[in-house]
Amino acid sequence: MTKVIRTENLTKVYNHTVVPVHALGGVDLEVEKGEFTAIIGPSGSGKTTLLNMIGGLDHPTSGRVFVGDTEMTALKESKLIDFRLRNIGFVFQSYNLIPVLTAKENISFIMLLQKRSKEEMEARAIQLLQEVGLTDKADVRPQKLSGGQQQRVAVARALASRPQFVLADEPTANLDTQSAFNLLDIMQKLNEEEHITLLFSTHDQRVIDRARRVIKLVDGKIASDERR
Amino acid sequence: MNGIVKISWRNVWRNKRRSLVILMAVALGLWGGIFATGLATGMVTQRFRIAIERQISHMQIHHPKFIDYDEVKYHIPEAAELVSHLSSDDFVMSVSARTMASGMVASSAITAGVQIIGVDAEQERATTRFDEFVVDGDYFTDAGRNPVIVGKRLADKMKIEPGSRLVLTFPDMQGEIVRASFRVAGIYQTTHTQLDELRLYVRRSDLQALVGEGEPVNEIAILLNDVEHLSDVIAQLKNRYPELSIRSYAEISPEVSYMQEMAGITYLVIIIIILLALAFGLLNTMLMTVYERTRELGMLMAVGMNKKRVFLMVMLETTFLTFTGAIVGILLGGGTVWLTARNGVDLSGVGGDTLTDFGYDAVVIPELHTSFFLNLVILVLCTSFLASVYPAFKALKMRPAEAIRKD
Repeated sequence: MTKVIRTENLTKVYNHTVVPVHALGGVDLEVEKGEFTAIIGPSGSGKTTLLNMIGGLDHPTSGRVFVGDTEMTALKESKLIDFRLRNIGFVFQSYNLIPVLTAKENISFIMLLQKRSKEEMEARAIQLLQEVGLTDKADVRPQKLSGGQQQRVAVARALASRPQFVLADEPTANLDTQSAFNLLDIMQKLNEEEHITLLFSTHDQRVIDRARRVIKLVDGKIASDERR
Repeated sequence: MNGIVKISWRNVWRNKRRSLVILMAVALGLWGGIFATGLATGMVTQRFRIAIERQISHMQIHHPKFIDYDEVKYHIPEAAELVSHLSSDDFVMSVSARTMASGMVASSAITAGVQIIGVDAEQERATTRFDEFVVDGDYFTDAGRNPVIVGKRLADKMKIEPGSRLVLTFPDMQGEIVRASFRVAGIYQTTHTQLDELRLYVRRSDLQALVGEGEPVNEIAILLNDVEHLSDVIAQLKNRYPELSIRSYAEISPEVSYMQEMAGITYLVIIIIILLALAFGLLNTMLMTVYERTRELGMLMAVGMNKKRVFLMVMLETTFLTFTGAIVGILLGGGTVWLTARNGVDLSGVGGDTLTDFGYDAVVIPELHTSFFLNLVILVLCTSFLASVYPAFKALKMRPAEAIRKD
């Protein structure tokens, strides 16, 4: 199987000049294409920090992150931004849609940054809206969508750029049960049918139950790594 | 680019109330600034026009010593030939040859120092439209002996009216004192009341007869068809009459020329001050906007929006905000200037006689030049750039990982 993500002895120390907080203590991790992985652990165990490192949103204190063959930790800021744009999809806990854009425009926006053609953006946005079951909400702005619908738009947005993998930080934390199940159904379907690599950080048992691999972090270290 | 423009424009209207407040501030600031500039430009233009068309003319010719000594004996040699030459020049609209003497005027009430100006009625009418200044009595007519036209302020002081008798005392060509009785034919009032108190107008032929020795002319005022030809005409005349003093209005009355040159700069400075004040309001608004949207900006940077685009988005948003207000302000200001220019703005109730004391017309016709609006647009653009730079840098300094999680 193709390795999509690889970390080598990843460490992160916050406030190391005052009171050092060891958020990550040497994480070695490999994620293969098409895996549905949940990173679990108690609060402060380093789940979000690990996702930030893998997503290129933060720099490790030491260690390296590879996405495919690219050492992401060696990229300069401008290259890193462009790398994220073309290779990584993000789903955030608070949806973080652009409120002044419609659902379809939110999805197209990533492709617009990638300078895709208008026709391609239109076709892909409609296709993704169909996949997340929101075709009828294409021209609706986020504030008129429910939390579950907003998160489904966020998933569609994350997939719009055809990324190598999608990082989802607590994506179901703000959703009611039904919305969470709907979202997970969609993500599981995308994972199974389109082999999209998904990496979740979560506390949510509903997500853990669906995951085919569960990595448990404790005190910034991998305590267990279970494939199902 | 289109997507960034679309987001920026929509972002302006996210908080309608706040945007409208700053838009109103920009619009009202510019409205006031534009109208004040229009009013002041109108005042200066009128002052300049009055100075040229009703007082100084475009250029004047004197005997060089007359300028320093102000004595009738320093007259222009062969003035009649010079006037004839000037009158045939295609660039010259009109010429007024004057005989001038400094002296005293006495009525039964008081005595005052004055400048006595002898003019040809028709030449003066054509050059300064002096007849239009006569507010009581008549302009020069052929009838009657030694008519004099007196400024209103002097007439009030001397308690005289048309028909009153005055005695003028002044030196003749030999420096001997001459006394002559004149009858007040009319009372005049110009927009420069201080000068009205000092100047008396008589017929040139009457004054020439009294000062003796031919028909001396001390001053030739020349009004051109177009001020564009001024330097050419002066150069030609200086070449032909090197012994004479030939001066443009700017040399005769440098304050008029200086005032016109400085006016444009002064009003731009006023507009710059208004815009600077507005820039701080805009900066504050944009900073609030950036802080409020920390999470959104963090998300944009996280998903791959580069710093150039983030910077551009904040700048465009500020520019839209500024220009929307500016367009409203320019329309209001320009509209007000256009409307008030129809009948003018009467400032006599505000400034009393102060304006006319200094040669300004109390009724001001506001005006603005196209160049002012072009400068204004450039200044507005600079304001919006200045106001957006700091918030845009603040946005760029955000770290996506932290910004995304900000409440």
